[in-house]
Amino acid sequence: MNIIETHNLTKSFGSVIAVNDLTISVRRGEFVAFMGASGSGKTTLLNILACLDTFTSGEVFIDGHNLAALDEEGRRVLRANKIGLVFQQFHLIPYLTALENVMLAQHFHSVTDEPAARQILGDVGLAHRLHHRPGALSGGEQQRVCIARALVNEPPILFADEPTGNLDEENECNILALLQDLHRRGRTVVLVTHNPDLAARADRIIRLHHGKVFEP
Amino acid sequence: MLTQMIFHSWHRNPRRTALTVTTVFLATALISALLAITVSVGDQMARELKSYGANILLEPAVDGDYLDTQDLPRIKEIFWRHNILGFAPLLAGTVTADDGGEVAILGTFFDQPLPVEGEDDFHTGQKIIAPYWRIDGAWPDDARPEALAGARLAERRGWRVGQTLTLAGARPVVLSGILESGGEEDELLVVPLALAQELLGRPGRADAARVSALTVPENRLSAKARANRDALTAEEYDVWYCTAYVSSIAHQLEEALPGARARPVWQVAASEGVIVGKVQLLLLVATLAALLAAAMGVAALTAGAILERAAEIALLKALAARPRHIALLFHAEVTVSALLGGALGCGAGWLLARHLGQTLFGAPLAMAWITVPGVLALAVAIALLGAWLPVRQIAALAPAEVLHGRR
Ligand SMILES: Nc1ncnc2c1ncn2[C@@H]1O[C@H](COP(=O)(O)OP(=O)(O)O)[C@@H](O)[C@H]1O
Ligand SMILES: [Mg+2]
Repeated sequence: MNIIETHNLTKSFGSVIAVNDLTISVRRGEFVAFMGASGSGKTTLLNILACLDTFTSGEVFIDGHNLAALDEEGRRVLRANKIGLVFQQFHLIPYLTALENVMLAQHFHSVTDEPAARQILGDVGLAHRLHHRPGALSGGEQQRVCIARALVNEPPILFADEPTGNLDEENECNILALLQDLHRRGRTVVLVTHNPDLAARADRIIRLHHGKVFEP
Repeated sequence: MLTQMIFHSWHRNPRRTALTVTTVFLATALISALLAITVSVGDQMARELKSYGANILLEPAVDGDYLDTQDLPRIKEIFWRHNILGFAPLLAGTVTADDGGEVAILGTFFDQPLPVEGEDDFHTGQKIIAPYWRIDGAWPDDARPEALAGARLAERRGWRVGQTLTLAGARPVVLSGILESGGEEDELLVVPLALAQELLGRPGRADAARVSALTVPENRLSAKARANRDALTAEEYDVWYCTAYVSSIAHQLEEALPGARARPVWQVAASEGVIVGKVQLLLLVATLAALLAAAMGVAALTAGAILERAAEIALLKALAARPRHIALLFHAEVTVSALLGGALGCGAGWLLARHLGQTLFGAPLAMAWITVPGVLALAVAIALLGAWLPVRQIAALAPAEVLHGRR
């Protein structure tokens, strides 16, 4: 059963074709890495799959929902229920504490649940950092807050775009271990990276080149 | 947490917040002062314009008849008695002067005390209804044989202030002052009514009386009443009667003084209403302009805030926040600024109204406390109106481009 499917997906920005006639699928519970050089279309593809962006042609199914049939509000609801996002730049709100940043995601999803937010921050190893603002946290800790925020509403799919791009090697290792752990507990994880060592930890690698799947 | 978000974003960019607060503050200060003026300008300006003359002339209903001065206090007993600023009876005639020549005299009230219920120490006379009279010397005392000589008459006869004249062969009268009115009085010897009645042998009588009343601008209803009072429906009649139109006050004067006919002096009365109406319109336009300018200021500031916080907005969108929900944050933020600016504006407006009232009308304008919530609501309205357009941009903001730090 595929939780993600694209058929002949194309996305162009003017004359630039960022994703070119792409047909891929990801099974439920799979840990997949999208790999490719900078500019190969990884982020563009991820944005489309995460319902953050529209596409030019082709079809996309997320957990059985046809994205082409959804309007902005429909995509918003699907994103709220199915998708967790981890960003390279973390994108934490600087004036809210770690706990509040996580609860913010709960708020916009449904209602805030502080015990659940504490629990999830504990799970990523930040039980002692709940009331710190992002500025007082290390890069690795910030990324873990970001992961906790992505997970707090229990989405089945986690998208992580270069999640360790801004981290040192030790933290990179920790974050990857965390993603692997999530995968072991049943989540579908899509990791975008240009680092072959990280990609190698995934169940499967999809290599992109100029917006197409590239089979070496 | 949301309150916290609003609060933090509110004071995170103190310069912009201060600008927003200042914008709303300036507008509400101006608006509340203008409002206070608009409300009181009717009364105050009518009062001012009154200094250019009485607006109702009371005459005997039948030509050749006279008014009984005993009836005159009833002028202050009509429904709109509080709008009657004052009145002065008029009695004209000629008497012989020292030199044997004739002199035209006018008997009237200068500053006559009159017992009136509910108004202690009420005085009436030319001093009240003709404040534009310029006196060289002093006003005569109504109870003494004193007189004002019209400027041109005095010049012709070579009369001076302080001189004693002998009228009608036997009556000594002291010239307390020389009068410059710019009107017919400049040719007359103006004396207390009682003295004129005695000299002319017409006790208790007057030819006419000038009445000065505060009136509201004429409108369609009063015009209809003027054209044909019988054409008014009962309801219209009640409204007309209970409104301080010059025509309804004149009507009530006729009811109070059966032998009299009250004639509005339309020139004065009509221009009063028109001028007050125009000034109020002007103030209203100025108020609207202030409102619009402030809203535009808030719009520019909010647009800046949205641009600056694009990343945060994009994140909230990625976290599945509804655009409506995000807009609420910005609306709440400007509302807080608006309330602060509005509260300060109310205070400044109050001071401004006091000051303006003092310069314009010589009396501080009262600002009703009831206007405070009104002005606060207006402040919020300005802010929300201003924020509305830029906040709509939130819906169009694409999170994909902002969030992944492209290029
Ligand atoms: N919003 C955009 N406007 C124009 N071109 C874009 C836009 N987004 C991506 N591109 C182009 O699409 C191609 C793929 O970009 P991207 O998906 O960011 O690659 P990657 O994430 O693999 O580095 C690049 O050539 C990039 O310049
Ligand atoms: Mg990228």
